[in-house]
Amino acid sequence: MRTIANRIQLFKIGVYGLLFLLLLCLFQTQVIRTGHYRRISEHNRIRLIRMMAPRGEITDRNGKPFATSRPSYNVAVVPEDFDPKDLPVLSKLLDLSPSEIRKQLSSVRSKSLTPVLLKKDIGKELAIQIEEKSPLLSGIFIDVQGVRYYPAYEISAHVIGYIGKISDAEYRSFDRDAYAINSDIGRTGIEKSFDSLLRGEDGGKQIEVNARGEQLNVLSEKLPVPGADVQLSLDIELQSRIAPILGEKNGVVLMMDLKTGEMLAMLSNPSFDPNVFVESGRDRDRIKLMKSTRKPLVNRSIVSAYPPGSVFKLVTALAGLETGKITPHTTFHCPGYFRLSARSRRFKCWESSGHGDVNLFNALERSCNVFFYNVGRLVGEKELSRYSHALGLGEPVPLEIPASDGFIPSAEWKERKPGEHWYEGETVTFAIGQGYVQTTPLQILRLISVMATDGKILKPTLIKQTEAPAGEPETVPVKKSALKAIRQGMLKVIESKYGTGQLARVDFMRLAAKTGTAQAPPRLAHAWFAGFFPYEEPRIALVVFVEHGGSGGLVAASLAKKIVTVWHELYSSTEKFVKPALPPVALEGMR
Amino acid sequence: MIKSFKDIHWPVLFLTVGISLSSIFFIYSATFRGTDHFIVKQLMWIGISLAAMWLVVSFGYRTFLNTSYLLYGISILLLAGVLIFGHERLGAQRWFQIGSFVLQPSELSKISTILALAHFLISRDRWIGQKRSLFIAGGMVALPFILILKQPDLGSAMVFIAITISILLIWGIRLRYLVIIFSLALISAPFLWHGLKPYQQKRLTVFLNPSVDPLGSGYTAIQSKIAVGSGGLIGKGWLRGTQTQLDFVPEHHTDFIFCVVGEEFGFLGSLLLIFLYGALIGYAIQIMDRTTDRGAQLLAAGVSAMLFFQIFINIGMTIGIAPITGITLPLLSYGGSSLLATFIAIGFLISIYKERSIF
Repeated sequence: MRTIANRIQLFKIGVYGLLFLLLLCLFQTQVIRTGHYRRISEHNRIRLIRMMAPRGEITDRNGKPFATSRPSYNVAVVPEDFDPKDLPVLSKLLDLSPSEIRKQLSSVRSKSLTPVLLKKDIGKELAIQIEEKSPLLSGIFIDVQGVRYYPAYEISAHVIGYIGKISDAEYRSFDRDAYAINSDIGRTGIEKSFDSLLRGEDGGKQIEVNARGEQLNVLSEKLPVPGADVQLSLDIELQSRIAPILGEKNGVVLMMDLKTGEMLAMLSNPSFDPNVFVESGRDRDRIKLMKSTRKPLVNRSIVSAYPPGSVFKLVTALAGLETGKITPHTTFHCPGYFRLSARSRRFKCWESSGHGDVNLFNALERSCNVFFYNVGRLVGEKELSRYSHALGLGEPVPLEIPASDGFIPSAEWKERKPGEHWYEGETVTFAIGQGYVQTTPLQILRLISVMATDGKILKPTLIKQTEAPAGEPETVPVKKSALKAIRQGMLKVIESKYGTGQLARVDFMRLAAKTGTAQAPPRLAHAWFAGFFPYEEPRIALVVFVEHGGSGGLVAASLAKKIVTVWHELYSSTEKFVKPALPPVALEGMR
Repeated sequence: MIKSFKDIHWPVLFLTVGISLSSIFFIYSATFRGTDHFIVKQLMWIGISLAAMWLVVSFGYRTFLNTSYLLYGISILLLAGVLIFGHERLGAQRWFQIGSFVLQPSELSKISTILALAHFLISRDRWIGQKRSLFIAGGMVALPFILILKQPDLGSAMVFIAITISILLIWGIRLRYLVIIFSLALISAPFLWHGLKPYQQKRLTVFLNPSVDPLGSGYTAIQSKIAVGSGGLIGKGWLRGTQTQLDFVPEHHTDFIFCVVGEEFGFLGSLLLIFLYGALIGYAIQIMDRTTDRGAQLLAAGVSAMLFFQIFINIGMTIGIAPITGITLPLLSYGGSSLLATFIAIGFLISIYKERSIF
């Protein structure tokens, strides 16, 4: 037991030793150095000045700004220095009533040396006027501060997002060293995802001031670290030419570089002006945006999911070819409708007079429903679902800003609910992209990338890639021959005289695409156009989507033509594109 | 009833109640400009805590030692619960809100871990299989330790380390193992560093150099030091501390209550307070020394270590010799859970004294 007694002694010595040390340190602080601390505390005059780090810019792929900072001129006044005889002049200059100004002045009576903000963001002209008159207006000065500015306005506003002041609850739960009570924080889009990068690090200094609030000396100082710039892959020039093509329609245009996965265009209509969220005095516009029934704040290209309609036939075709249920030359007869059994209801083809005997090529070309009803029935719901997921549908899309997963149904999903059954009729509607299937336009873009790049499922990115992507992108394990057959079908959609996407045909290049007209009763159908170009050496994947726009072949395809033309105008100066002469025979040969 | 007053260690009881009642003055000074009824609440908590202490003494510490695993299990569940359902305040999830009161389970888990550790270690032979015992004991501490670090509450987690080392020391750990544990802790420090939240890392760097972050944690470090230092020998007088009154020191009724003592009552006030704390811990060590029950001895070791470590770190952080972590000053800081835990812990001491065998 001797050891234990020793241990207790040791413990005791440790405790008393440390308490004694504590006393010594207290003696040092409170008795020896007290003069120093008392002087600081009596003058009480340590002020904290936060030095805001300038927020980084967001630019497009060519360095044109999406989001930048502009100076905002604010009129401030030091109440103690203010002479009431200037009131009428000031009131006229600022368009504020004298009583309003008086009210603001008296709001901080106790600390009359603290400047009071009279009016925010008054415009440069007025600021200069006031500066000129400042010798006459005592106590008035112009305080210049940086305000976020979005010079591209509606262009890709959903992607860029906007910033806002942090809320009280956020302030309490965030790291106080990074966020001050008035800090800006990215609310949506890139501004939110890259907030920590864009915001930099605020600096600050502790200064000692005299009784008049004037700075005596700096006790410690940390300079702000400016936020980093973010360069996006989007092209402002291209997009601002596309935007008028889309006009007033609710819809989406997506363009992706097939080499890098970079998004060149991501437009969602209707859009909004992000400046509304950062400029003061625009509360009414903000409320209007939030209440609008057209939902301009929703990014339709990645957040909203829609039935893909006939565009989904690409998936059905691939599943059919891969499972060996069909070959490119398997033929089905289309009388204009399809029946599961002699007594079942008729599933209609859009062409009520029927397409006759069709194989894969002309089924894609003409978007024959009956052909794909047959394929879907042969392949089955399970395989359709499996291939959809493999092609990224119903799956999360890796992107810098949050995108939704869409939805791919399955019998297992439906039968989880007691009493529910999966019917074969649902399999055949699934096969033409109707029923429960929901995809985002971005997922359709990825689907196109698989077709165009021989199976690579690209990771879309909004950030300009400075170097070649590390490693090969993920590939979907499918036969190249199957993809080639589908591509040939997609070429016919545009180039053949029976093709549903003929309106998108251009004379400088060959496009390959699939149109879709997704039923959305009781309103008009959704119009889809999803394709890539040039056919020979795919560079760009394109999705045009018009919400309740009507026919994909009419509405979306004609928009697509204009969009491809705009792209060509912009990029043909650096490159030449040649459309190979294609004998009609070659097209007919695929019959 | 009469029996329960027999053999009470009156000095310990007086010290405890005396220090905690004096807290009313300090908390009043720190908060009287606000609107919240901190004093009323604190008085209520002192009452509740005294009742809890009386319960501990009347049941006797053995009851608690024997049910320690159950108590330990409950406190672990509470800790896990607070991470899932807890109330977020000041950026950390440490509290349960019940009505207008908030409960901080980490305070109570200190007590239950001390009990469980003491109970476990007396069941093990000291010399045979010590390594195995140490591993199990380590695991028992690691569980609440990690849960508390996750909240994140670095300060409370550090208290667990102090408690464990003291209990192991009194239990009779081989000194070379203690050295090994210390060196392991040193080696793992860099890894732990990366597990910390950025603001915790900053607080630790600020401790070494307060001027790296003049706006955030460095500000607190500097201002609290000014508060204590400007108190001088006799202080500025009650309710006259400008630093604390003018809100230069944040959290001055909870973690930084010592700033009020130091600023308004000066070095003499601090000296008196430390003397009282020293006496309390001295009695605790005496009780530990005189009991013949090994379990009681380890329990008293844990309690003394807990009290001492919190006092030392809390006062140390106000004058810049310890990093700023959320550790309360026992018996003085505003807060029910902390008060309750301290009273229960001291209740064990009184109970051990009361039930010592008399030769």
